[in-house]
Amino acid sequence: MDDTSQQILKYLTEVEEAAEDVLADKHQIVDLDVKRNMNREALSALRNEGETSSEKVKVCFGNMFIKLPKKTTREMIQKDQEQLEKEISDIRKRLKAKVNHLNELQGKPELTGYSLSPLSKDEMKAIKQMLMR
Amino acid sequence: MAAQMAATKVPEVRDITRIERIGAHSHIRGLGLDDALEPRQVSQGMVGQLASRRAAGLILEMIKDGHIAGRAVLIAGQPGTGKTAIAMGIAQSLGTDTPFTALAGSEIFSLEMSKTEALSQAFRKAIGVRIKEETEIIEGEVVEIQIDRPATGTGAKVGKLTLKTTEMETIYDLGSKMIESLSKERVQAGDVITIDKATGKITKLGRSFTRARDYDAMGAQTQFVQCPEGELQKRKEVVHTVSLHEIDVINSRTQGFLALFSGDTGEIKSEVREQINAKVSEWREEGKAEIIPGVLFIDEVHMLDMECFSFLNRALESDLSPVLIMATNRGITRIRGTNYQSPHGIPIDMLDRLLIIATSPYTEKETRQILKIRCEEEDVELSEEAHTVLTRIGLETSLRYAIQLISTAGLVCRKRRGTEVQVEDIKRVYSLFLDESRSSQYMKEYQDSFLFNETQGAQMDTSQ
Repeated sequence: MDDTSQQILKYLTEVEEAAEDVLADKHQIVDLDVKRNMNREALSALRNEGETSSEKVKVCFGNMFIKLPKKTTREMIQKDQEQLEKEISDIRKRLKAKVNHLNELQGKPELTGYSLSPLSKDEMKAIKQMLMR
Repeated sequence: MAAQMAATKVPEVRDITRIERIGAHSHIRGLGLDDALEPRQVSQGMVGQLASRRAAGLILEMIKDGHIAGRAVLIAGQPGTGKTAIAMGIAQSLGTDTPFTALAGSEIFSLEMSKTEALSQAFRKAIGVRIKEETEIIEGEVVEIQIDRPATGTGAKVGKLTLKTTEMETIYDLGSKMIESLSKERVQAGDVITIDKATGKITKLGRSFTRARDYDAMGAQTQFVQCPEGELQKRKEVVHTVSLHEIDVINSRTQGFLALFSGDTGEIKSEVREQINAKVSEWREEGKAEIIPGVLFIDEVHMLDMECFSFLNRALESDLSPVLIMATNRGITRIRGTNYQSPHGIPIDMLDRLLIIATSPYTEKETRQILKIRCEEEDVELSEEAHTVLTRIGLETSLRYAIQLISTAGLVCRKRRGTEVQVEDIKRVYSLFLDESRSSQYMKEYQDSFLFNETQGAQMDTSQ
């Protein structure tokens, strides 16, 4: 293989790798969101069960069910939920840099206002008032 | 017979509305430059004026990169040499994101607003602020809504909402508030909705394609959308671009809806402007906002007077200043409001700040090209001879006159049910409508029979 095709191949691999990276992260967000929603469903199920039923609930770990006290279960799930939230927002932050990198490799211009930090809620409310006119 | 007439009438009506919508510079799509900023002879509706277009292209690139703010450019040239066309070209190639404000010099003279107020409003309209909004939303297709009503009829309703994307599906518990807003939006299974996490606002995006069959009998207004992809709970980032003037207006509305109804905001206090400037620069330091210096275009700039020019001088020095593009067709003339003569009717100290682009009259070949482009724009077919005749008219009278003959000749041609405008059609409209020189010729001949002809000696002063 001559030099130029060697170079093109290298460039294409680089782009593909970056794209793969972005896709993997996106997929991970989806997976984490699935987990988050399942946890949320569990929490509301615990809440809805009411005080009448027994103090313990069956929790599925891998391929077996373990009876655990309600309170512990709830705390456990809530902890897990916080962890998930943090992870998702971390990935989103990372994803931004990666998408930027991919765009750069492909020679696309940076998205406008991509690196801005968002306005706070109050500020946005004032701006919204103006945009809704 | 009646039906036939109605059928033939309809397209005619359409054509008339179409002609109304064609502006004098509607054919301009950009400056017609290649990637190396070299002007192409004919491109994007621009013809000739190579040097001026290249100069404009250079300025355009600098504007795009944000290198020049607070600079001023003057486009000077005889009438009908494409000054406004170049300004339009700049506006078109800047894209929608960079603010472009166009203003005629005479527009600033109003009884309700001082001249400097009108100018500073125009300045602030030409500066954009880019900000970002971030919201957490839940977006998905409704699989099922289940609402349990209490048997007694009173008491809180509870329910469940099942949402899905292409990848996942989940069940949400609904409180009575949520149920209420769902039924208010008439959300049904098969709708694609978004729920704003912070406010709980529900927006219906449309119906899912997969359920298209269920809604076969619906009207055409039902919008079908794809089932959303990815995660259910998304983060949505929206970038808004607003002008400084818009922020000014909302903050100066202390009088409430009075200003909303009159449509006119009146004068804006300078304190309000200072507050806004402070807020915006605070945002900029926090990385929350980007300033986009836009373009303010003032046509017929010789209509501005001495005070306006000194205001412009000072305004260009402020750190929030757009690029100012001015155009004039005057030579050495009096500065409005003074007795001094100056080139282009602009004071020398102002001229000193300007980059000046000159436009030159079009050649025969270029005139021919422009007429051709206008014919295409106005949907008029021109025969070869008619084109030649029209080009001659354009050279001998003015380009504007020749362009005006296109649509009128087109109408004459349609009247005689021709498909292509012939020399006769041109001749006919040429005899119907006078050009400027023939009209003044006529005036000279029949001056005595016009009213008020005794004011012969007093020349009309046009410089004022």
